[in-house]
Amino acid sequence: MKRVLVIGSGISGMACAVRCARHGVHVMLVSPDPSERSQSIMAAGGINAVIADCDAGDSVACHIEDTLKGGCYLGGRRAVTGLCENGEEILKMLVGLGTVFSVDKQGQPLRRAFGGQTYKRTYYCGASTGKQIVSALVMEARRFEAEGLIERRLRCCFHSALIHDGVCYGALLYDETANKPEAVLADAVVMATGGQNALFGKTTGSTQCDGYAEGRLFMQGAALKNLEFIQFHPTTIETPQKRMLISEAARGEGGRLFYERDGKRIYFMEEKYGAKGNLMTRDVISREMGAVKEQVYLDISFLGKKLIDERLPEVRDICAKYGSIDVYTQPIPVSPSVHFFMGGFAVHSHHETNIRSLFAVGECASMYHGANRLGGNSLLAAMYSGGVAAEEIAGRPEVGRAPDFGKFISQEYDKMQERQSADSPFPVMYIRDMLAESMRSHMGIVRDEKSLDEGISDVEHLLSVAEHLRYDSSVRHYTNYSLTGILTLARATLQCARSRKESRGAHYRSDAPKTSDEYGFSTIITYDGGSYNVRLDKEHEYES
Amino acid sequence: MRVSILRQKSAESEPYREIFEYDGSPDNTIAVLLDHINYNDDITDIYGKRTDRISWECSCLQGICGACAMVINGVPALACETFVRDLKGEEIDIRPLSKFPVIRDLIVDRTSIHENLKQTNIYIGEYQPSEKSSHAQQYITAKCLKCGLCLEVCPNYVNGRNFFGAVFANDCYLAASRNRSKSKEIRGVYSKHFGADCSRSLSCMDVCPMKIPTITSIAMMNRK
Repeated sequence: MKRVLVIGSGISGMACAVRCARHGVHVMLVSPDPSERSQSIMAAGGINAVIADCDAGDSVACHIEDTLKGGCYLGGRRAVTGLCENGEEILKMLVGLGTVFSVDKQGQPLRRAFGGQTYKRTYYCGASTGKQIVSALVMEARRFEAEGLIERRLRCCFHSALIHDGVCYGALLYDETANKPEAVLADAVVMATGGQNALFGKTTGSTQCDGYAEGRLFMQGAALKNLEFIQFHPTTIETPQKRMLISEAARGEGGRLFYERDGKRIYFMEEKYGAKGNLMTRDVISREMGAVKEQVYLDISFLGKKLIDERLPEVRDICAKYGSIDVYTQPIPVSPSVHFFMGGFAVHSHHETNIRSLFAVGECASMYHGANRLGGNSLLAAMYSGGVAAEEIAGRPEVGRAPDFGKFISQEYDKMQERQSADSPFPVMYIRDMLAESMRSHMGIVRDEKSLDEGISDVEHLLSVAEHLRYDSSVRHYTNYSLTGILTLARATLQCARSRKESRGAHYRSDAPKTSDEYGFSTIITYDGGSYNVRLDKEHEYES
Repeated sequence: MRVSILRQKSAESEPYREIFEYDGSPDNTIAVLLDHINYNDDITDIYGKRTDRISWECSCLQGICGACAMVINGVPALACETFVRDLKGEEIDIRPLSKFPVIRDLIVDRTSIHENLKQTNIYIGEYQPSEKSSHAQQYITAKCLKCGLCLEVCPNYVNGRNFFGAVFANDCYLAASRNRSKSKEIRGVYSKHFGADCSRSLSCMDVCPMKIPTITSIAMMNRK
């Protein structure tokens, strides 16, 4: 029987696992925690689809155009066409799995308007679309678990891939229950590990999405793409451990952004962009906020208690709980935060990386979103990419006999043993904090070459000491062995941003503020023994 | 403020207590407090003895994933939405959930929640909603975090070998209401592993972070 190893059990990982299982392919679904802890459950907004009964004037072609335009035409038309054409089928599949969508009186899923889109085409489940989809997929995966086709492995972390001559034969995992590494051979390995939050410390996302798998596989030969495109969400509130997202709905309902100067409120977005200024795209608002010296506030108090209670209860509750802010009477102090990574593994149309039999799906794969992502397209892409990879894997012959990885495994095992025997109080988290501080300073909303060079210098320094230090071994072993991969990914991200000497979508360079046709291609970065090689994908090797 | 934590180095070892001093803000959550003790400096207890960093789990840090479920001052709760300012007394007492095997410190093995649902085939399969289904109840039960707080507080739940608790009842309701053709089969296992032994203390509803009205799921499952 064909065997697939899926790393990560959020929506894209489960979508892939379920689709593989439907084809009779055995799936080992690996994650440190159950799907209920994945970042997917935090996706609130909705999922885009153009269905037969769409808004008058809407079409799949229009969804394709909106997606390409939102991504500043870096997304490949063929890939985006596949994504948008499958929206209706994916929506039907989710309904068929029992996802509890918000519905009208006839029981049909409701849709709403989302930023950057010409028509209403975002289907939603109250304010917890991601969670409801996860719950439905967990049930469906459970059906195949009961049949023995999906084998869930919890408390299990990715360590490295088993690669020989450009072909992936499986992965080395770290089993946290048994406290030992385990090599698993498979006909295909699918990475579904989410975004790269750890590079920035506090973000709106999960602490579990750290980018390690991308960093490690990059070091093992996987090409990465468009790492410079990182979406900032303009309205988040600061808390000691994370950035709490204040939904775009707050501005959609009429919320106004302002700052105070000399006791007077300055509605800077409206002054510059007119009445709809507060609803400009996320990158434009984030940049405008970045240019303001004063604290920026979001005011929804004038909307009234009734409207807030009916339409923005989550905003009300988050502000009260984590900011002690009474939104009925007080404005919300907001600032932009890292929210989504358009970059990740460079993948071909079937979501296979440049390493044969190694696939990537969901946020960790760079596809569809180009230089910026539309709201509602991330859940669609998670579902679609998982399905695309599964279909490709199911249709392929088995890989065949794997070469002997004994030497590689024993070397890695020795390194693990050494780390675990360390008697040091020094925690890896101190280095992670230094990395996040540098990335926030140099890889923020507005970048320039000098600052990026400083960032590169910082990360080079951290990389040079990281392997020589001994760390507190009382924490999870994964926390310690993941450091170098995370640092390497950060270094690659800075390199991509340095190389793109233009401004496009979420990447803004104050020393090159215009968009340039010369850079109208995706960035591809590869690693070769410590050197970071960047090129533009002018031949459309990865996306067309 | 003193913080007393029930710790355990591994599944096999004996639990022990350690007391730490917390000098951070009362406006912080217990999740922030744990990070503060772990990473404010090299970790030492109140007697100045160097010790291991405290193991605990988190993911969303905003009360919607259930990773950081633990017992705080005797109450099962999520660390990321329990604030120091709201706790009474001079000392904060933190211990792991007691109904699950400890893996390390505040991390417990909650696999049994998923295993019980798998063993009893609680899944929707083909979507065929029953005519009497309540959309609101399905929406709220699908928000279950599988955090285990309802099981910790339940007087009937012991170790999940026979009685599976509110988390099981709510998933039974969700699956049965979304697929009427499986309803009879699900009611059978529901009765065996929940209905027959639930004493209706409903303490599960008091601690549920999602405020799931389990009593409504029970009423729906008991309806013929």
